[in-house]
Amino acid sequence: MRSIAVENEERLYLRYAYNDLVKNKGINAALVVTLVLSAFLMATGSMVLERLAGSISRLSEQGKPPDFLQMHKGEYDPAALTRFAADHESEIDAWLVEEMLGYDSASLSWSRPDTGENGDLAASRIDNLFVTQNTEFDFLVDRTGTVVEPAAGEVYVPVLYQQRYGLTPGDVLTIRTGSGPYELEVRGEVKDAQMAASLSPSSRFLIHPEDFEALGRAGGATPEIIVEYRLAADGDANALQTAYEGAGGLPTNGQPVTGPQLRIISMISDGLVAFALVFVSLVLIVIALLNLRFVIRGTLEDEVHEIGAMKAIGIPDREISRLYLTKYSILALVGCVVGGLLAIVAANVLTHGIQTSYAPAPVDVWTFLVPLIALAAVYVIVVGICRGVLRGVRRIEVVNALVHGSTLDEKQAARRTRRQARWVRRTGLVSSSGAGINRRLAVLDLRAEGRAWVLLPVVFGLTAVLITLPANMVSTFESPRFVTYMGVPERDLRADVQFQEDVDGVKDRLVTAMEDDDRLTDVRSYASVDYTADSEDGPARLRVEVGNRPDDGGIRFSQGGLPRDGQIALSVLNADRFRVGVGDDLTIHDGDQSITVQVSGIYQDITSGGQTAKMSGDVTEGAAAYTVFADLAGDGADPGGIADEYDEQFPTGGVKPTQEYVRETLGVLIDSMRAAAWVALVFGLGVVVLITSLFLKLRLARDRSNMGVLSAIGFSAKELVGQVRTKTLLVVAAGTAAGLVLAATAGQSLASAALTAVQLGITDLTFIPNPWLVYVLYPLLLLGAGYFGVAVLTAGVRRADKSEWIRR
Amino acid sequence: MDQAAVTLESHELSKTYFSTEPPTEVLRGIDLSVRAGEFLVVMGTSGSGKSTLLYSISGMDRPTSGNVTLEGRELTSLGDTEMSKVRLTRMGFVFQQPHFLGNLEVRDNILLPALRAAPKQGREAAISRVDALMERFGITHIRSHGITQVSGGQLQRASICRALAGEPSVLFADEPTGALNSSMTAEVMDAFTDVHRDGTTIVMVTHDPGVAARGERVIYLRDGTVEAAREIGRWEPDTARRREDDLLAWLRDLGF
Repeated sequence: MRSIAVENEERLYLRYAYNDLVKNKGINAALVVTLVLSAFLMATGSMVLERLAGSISRLSEQGKPPDFLQMHKGEYDPAALTRFAADHESEIDAWLVEEMLGYDSASLSWSRPDTGENGDLAASRIDNLFVTQNTEFDFLVDRTGTVVEPAAGEVYVPVLYQQRYGLTPGDVLTIRTGSGPYELEVRGEVKDAQMAASLSPSSRFLIHPEDFEALGRAGGATPEIIVEYRLAADGDANALQTAYEGAGGLPTNGQPVTGPQLRIISMISDGLVAFALVFVSLVLIVIALLNLRFVIRGTLEDEVHEIGAMKAIGIPDREISRLYLTKYSILALVGCVVGGLLAIVAANVLTHGIQTSYAPAPVDVWTFLVPLIALAAVYVIVVGICRGVLRGVRRIEVVNALVHGSTLDEKQAARRTRRQARWVRRTGLVSSSGAGINRRLAVLDLRAEGRAWVLLPVVFGLTAVLITLPANMVSTFESPRFVTYMGVPERDLRADVQFQEDVDGVKDRLVTAMEDDDRLTDVRSYASVDYTADSEDGPARLRVEVGNRPDDGGIRFSQGGLPRDGQIALSVLNADRFRVGVGDDLTIHDGDQSITVQVSGIYQDITSGGQTAKMSGDVTEGAAAYTVFADLAGDGADPGGIADEYDEQFPTGGVKPTQEYVRETLGVLIDSMRAAAWVALVFGLGVVVLITSLFLKLRLARDRSNMGVLSAIGFSAKELVGQVRTKTLLVVAAGTAAGLVLAATAGQSLASAALTAVQLGITDLTFIPNPWLVYVLYPLLLLGAGYFGVAVLTAGVRRADKSEWIRR
Repeated sequence: MDQAAVTLESHELSKTYFSTEPPTEVLRGIDLSVRAGEFLVVMGTSGSGKSTLLYSISGMDRPTSGNVTLEGRELTSLGDTEMSKVRLTRMGFVFQQPHFLGNLEVRDNILLPALRAAPKQGREAAISRVDALMERFGITHIRSHGITQVSGGQLQRASICRALAGEPSVLFADEPTGALNSSMTAEVMDAFTDVHRDGTTIVMVTHDPGVAARGERVIYLRDGTVEAAREIGRWEPDTARRREDDLLAWLRDLGF
């Protein structure tokens, strides 16, 4: 008996839900679309992140990248490395020195003998390193994960190049060496666990040891090495890095990188869009929830008579709530299922590139669990909130519901009457007349019914944050002024003299040439000097940029300022590493000599892994590297042209316009962020149109009787539509403005917090917005979206029989 | 009937609702003339098309065919904006439910159409006209009240004030006493009688014979056509009882 009753009950709920779904198609469709979008983005984001993590892990297993590596250019002492390894035998599982030959992209070209097609790789900004296969770890693997061994005369190119230039086996790669072109046959492509990230500044080509030797002899390449370590099971990469840098005498002329950093860089550069999707979906879920709350409350008001009747015949509150909850559970379920299915397609498209650069991620239980958990979370939150809002059923009193059609109890009703009475005493129409009265009515209505309208400004505010935040990030990273987050002042030209035999000589000649050049002014050079300093884990390398800096404006100091004599300024990450703040003393060692300097300031810098320092002084020789800055004398001069001239004259001087330096360093990151910004913009605008339409549909239904009155006493449909439009645009504008303020304040803090968390070297980002975009175009787009929603929804008003509105 | 004195006229007026299946033909070719200063009452069974007739001749609804003229001006061909202007300046409405805007005090609700119609310089005149009307209908003391704070009778008198504020040539009323008790009904109908005495043309829909007896002429609708009409002359308090009985007898004959 019981089971039949329960079954009947279930069927009743479902039938009620079905009838309601059919009756209110428009509103339910809008709700479903919002839920589908929320679920879709959430599932897509989580799937992409899971796939990416899986891909990175799989490639890691296949390629066995080092846990700590140190790049180096120039001479080094192999015996010192052996000693270091012996001293740290317990921490190190294996180690190796990989020799590499670096070529400029302009030295590489390809051709296809069968068809005569050819091209060069000059457009690539990546360092091209030719290597032989390692024997113990850090392998370059093919598509199937096999460690490949090229034969003599063959080359395996990085996946990146294979993709970009469509290289196929049989193509010929020609290297311009010091003694003429050297040809290799492309045999296939390799994946590189160490340099797979889109942000990686270099990539490796795999060749046979015979070719390696021949290329070495031919000249024209920059020899480099990577010292690589695999840790023992319980080893700590950071501790090893500190020990390495503190040991002294080891090769350190290049970037040190740890395994975790490699993974973070990969996640940032290839997972940014996925993170953005998750962020967008979170905002969407908030919007969907607000929306549901609005719709449910409206439904309770509309159906108060039915609810009163159900209560009167003794149906418990819980069951009345369930009647409604069934419908929203179905909507949420449909949203999650459809969103999830769409996400499978989208995630496949989005992860295609990832799977190519890394490895096809293994399909395991988490592949299904991660998106399922994300979708389940969306479902549970949505249904939970609906349940909460439906508690309102309990507060509905039978008599008030049946007689007055009110969801309010006596007390609430009395309170409302008092509030309304207070309100009308404060308002007055007499100051306006003629058509101006429409504006006045709209404003009065908004002020009195503000709570009913709050959904729109909140949604537009959130969307404004959603679309401006990534746009602000892009414009900030793209801005010429962003260079100040890279630890350098805003100057026109920059030269990096490093990684070569005669750095002093090249620097001196370059500086002299620049100083003699009328087109350039204010030529300054800074020397990079390696010290060690005491960190928590022992002595660690500290590369300090030494130079005369009376007025290096524009460097982003988060505390303090430029160093004077006896002082040092540290990058945020270095201040963290050495546990010092402004005013603290830091002892630095140069061989046997030690000096104590005071920290003058802490600045933000994302270059060199965020670990830099600055001191005042004059070092003219013996430095590891030099950086030279110069400004253009005339306003109209082209920094690119002048840089090219110098580049020709000083091929190892690394002269570039500062802006190009920024682009090279951050290009990939900016591209990812731009993609995220587009995703946010498209979804954001879609959602505001949807919500505006849904809101107005419900609002107009509720305002019908008022509109009927106004129509009867002589207000035209045009005026009525105008009032709705005024109200909508006012709230939309207010919401958008609030959103812009929020994005500029809290959004900036949020972005800073995110950047701090990823240890990029930026802790306090100040947006450099593109004002036309963020403060003109985007608000106009949002207003336009709102206007579009009003236009569509009020189109029917003109055609309607107005008496319908009051006769119901 | 004196043609020169006709103020509102409909010819072959039809209204069909196509939203139902099959379409519902509510008005079927109604010819109607209302003299200036006349108090016309429209009666009929439920669903006979009384209210639809009222809303169709007042331009709130678009008739399916036929035409309506007010003071010699064709209304059915007017656009929404022009028709609204006609309602604003030449018509007044009183409904069964006292439809008011909850965000405005009673006086502002009454003032609303007058202010909308008034040019800037006419504002003061509109305000004093409304204040005078409120005084006349005894609702000055509730001028600053919210609409939820006053009685149904007071609200309906306020409705009449609002309808008259623009000095209309025709006052339309749709069951103005339908939601009132008997004492309030008398109160409101006295107000209508008063307005009529001033020479205002009234077209009122009601199903209450007592209320209908206040009119000068009663037409009876059945299935969208005028089945019968009856002139009953001006209402006077001392003949009220008899008029009501006469009317009731007539209505009974019609099957009311």
